[in-house]
Amino acid sequence: MAPSASGPNCTAHQKIEIAPAAPSRDGLVGGSRLKAAEELPDGRAAGRLPLGAGSEGGRTLAGSGKSDTARPGIKMSQELVVVAISAVLFVVFSATLNNFLSQGNILAILKNVSILGTLAVGMGFIVVGRGIDLTMVAVMVVGVAFSIWISTWGVDFTLAVICGAILVAVIGLFTGIMVAVAEIPPIFATLAIASSVYGSGRIVFASDVLYAPSDIGWLKFVGNGTILGIPMSVIIFAAVAALMGFFLRKTRFGRLVYATGDNPNAARTTGLPTRPIIVTQYVISALIAYTAGIIMLGLVTGIDTRLYNSSLIYDVLLVVVLGGIGLSGGQGGVRNVIVGTILVGILTNGMTILNFSYTSQNLIKSVILLGALAIDAIINPRDEQTSQSGDI
Amino acid sequence: MKLFKNCLLAGLTALTLLGAAQVTTAQETDQVGRSTYLEALKGKKVIFVPISQGMDLNQAWVVVWQRHAARYGFSLEVRDPSGDTNAGIRAMQGAIAEKPDLIIVQNPDVQTYARLLKQAQAAGIKVLQVNMQSATQTDSYVGNDWIEMGRLEMGELAKHCTGPNAVSHKVVWLAGVQTGAANIYMRTGIDEVLKANPELQLVSDQPADYMSEKARQITETVLQQHPDLCGIMGIWDNAEVGAGAAVVAAGKQDQVTIVTNGAGSATGCESIKNGLLDVIFNFNAPIQAEIAAQQISELLQQPDRKAGSEKTIFFGPITRVDKTNATGRNCWKLDELK
Repeated sequence: MAPSASGPNCTAHQKIEIAPAAPSRDGLVGGSRLKAAEELPDGRAAGRLPLGAGSEGGRTLAGSGKSDTARPGIKMSQELVVVAISAVLFVVFSATLNNFLSQGNILAILKNVSILGTLAVGMGFIVVGRGIDLTMVAVMVVGVAFSIWISTWGVDFTLAVICGAILVAVIGLFTGIMVAVAEIPPIFATLAIASSVYGSGRIVFASDVLYAPSDIGWLKFVGNGTILGIPMSVIIFAAVAALMGFFLRKTRFGRLVYATGDNPNAARTTGLPTRPIIVTQYVISALIAYTAGIIMLGLVTGIDTRLYNSSLIYDVLLVVVLGGIGLSGGQGGVRNVIVGTILVGILTNGMTILNFSYTSQNLIKSVILLGALAIDAIINPRDEQTSQSGDI
Repeated sequence: MKLFKNCLLAGLTALTLLGAAQVTTAQETDQVGRSTYLEALKGKKVIFVPISQGMDLNQAWVVVWQRHAARYGFSLEVRDPSGDTNAGIRAMQGAIAEKPDLIIVQNPDVQTYARLLKQAQAAGIKVLQVNMQSATQTDSYVGNDWIEMGRLEMGELAKHCTGPNAVSHKVVWLAGVQTGAANIYMRTGIDEVLKANPELQLVSDQPADYMSEKARQITETVLQQHPDLCGIMGIWDNAEVGAGAAVVAAGKQDQVTIVTNGAGSATGCESIKNGLLDVIFNFNAPIQAEIAAQQISELLQQPDRKAGSEKTIFFGPITRVDKTNATGRNCWKLDELK
């Protein structure tokens, strides 16, 4: 691929893009090449290093946030569209609904989206790497149910939670291997694994709803505790989001995730360790799903494995896509997830206060999603210049 | 000596005769109709299509029915769609194709299986519906009187939330699935009570989809809007623990009365003891299962009766359980039913 096909502000990197398409083994050459890239004056190269032709300049840099500020004016991205919609809804609800703007209600909004948001951070992380993880809800409910189940044998609950985390990490590892090594497309691999995980759980646990022991101090704190008036569930969500944001933007591994997501073949050809990256991603997303499950356990004292059959996994995807993380990978970041989560939170809260029926709530939610996607499609049209291999 | 010999002989003869008589008596005293009953049930095939076998009420039903099946020689197969309606439709289609003697079905909503149930009856298969009815009435229904359940629950709230001492007249109805039979009929009962108590104010009517986290979210939001909320009524104890958690988190457990219904399992009683729920209208799933077992045996004993020719309904008992009686048989454990 000709380097000149890269975006207009890519010239600084052209010298390192002439990568030998040598049959480098994953992980061997990646490190040294990356060093060369990081030494570039603008410090952005790691993310765009292996990206070949066909990537729009702005997109390859997504997540770093620097390209947008480098441009004159504000680019009306989907993220901004969603922020605008959220702001409009917020103002309308504040003006029309009693107590909407109260501190209690704002905290309730955040508390109510903490599980969804935490899951969406994990999903966003996978989608950035051009994957999709439909196992998250299954892993969440089965992992937590497993820890409750072994605690009923007399195992200390905290130890049981750690065992649950290990199980979940192993499931994530298996999913990662299926996707990265067996090269099963993630949508099918995770769909099948989700079903097997849930099915195995159902056989083992017998009951759909499992209750945690009622005397676990730290679990009560997760559910009802506050720090400086902020509920623990919100703090955990914020912590997971902050860690992920730091990880994606500030670490070498994070940049490699963007590289893999933007163009996996190019990333691999240039010697990035794409397989270990993908496997690690699925392990992390499984652990994040487990964290969300622990928040839920704290909040409602039990876990309902039937959540697997609910639309939760699609709500998670909705948040990710709504926030502006394209399913084609390599773009977006935690900020997008937060934006999407907040929109869904405001919307659900307002509609619950307005006492809309379930069906109309779903209808309105979908119309807003479609609207956001449509506005984005109009503002940022796709054509052969901006599209990417693997776009859906 | 001869006398002794004669006596011994006579004794032995008497004993033999007595023993023979006993054997004859044992052969003749078979309980009236029992062998015909066993004959009728032996080898019959029953298929149960539940909503999800992971729910406490379903587990209680199946444990009881399996006991009957093992004792009286019919087979019971459970085709569990695990909460997936599409899988349920396939399970029903498969069951009809197998032409069992009886299908037991717990409908996810009033419409989904309505046509399939007609097809089953047309194919000569008798159908027993449990607890969740379809729009199609079949040979038998065993389960709750849901309109009465709605009346009882809202009536309980009316006791707490009307009159001069009530904190407010505001009540919440946390529904299940809006198209489900329980939901539709409970609503009728609720409306009757609301009509009779015009001061009651229904401030929220949202389905929690039988999910505790959804119930918690709705309750938390509603409590922000109506800090003086008086009562919440729900549809399943395992979901309303979420509402209870939100009320406890807001420190309003003394103010808000939470009423729901449930199968009567020990987890519900635990929730009452933990202060998450106040009242459970317990429909005692094991007793429901026994009533259904009578229907199973009746339908299996009448192989010549045309499917759907006679339609019967049996409502099970409903017991009001609060912290004063959340013990003993009001709180069954699955192992005790086996």
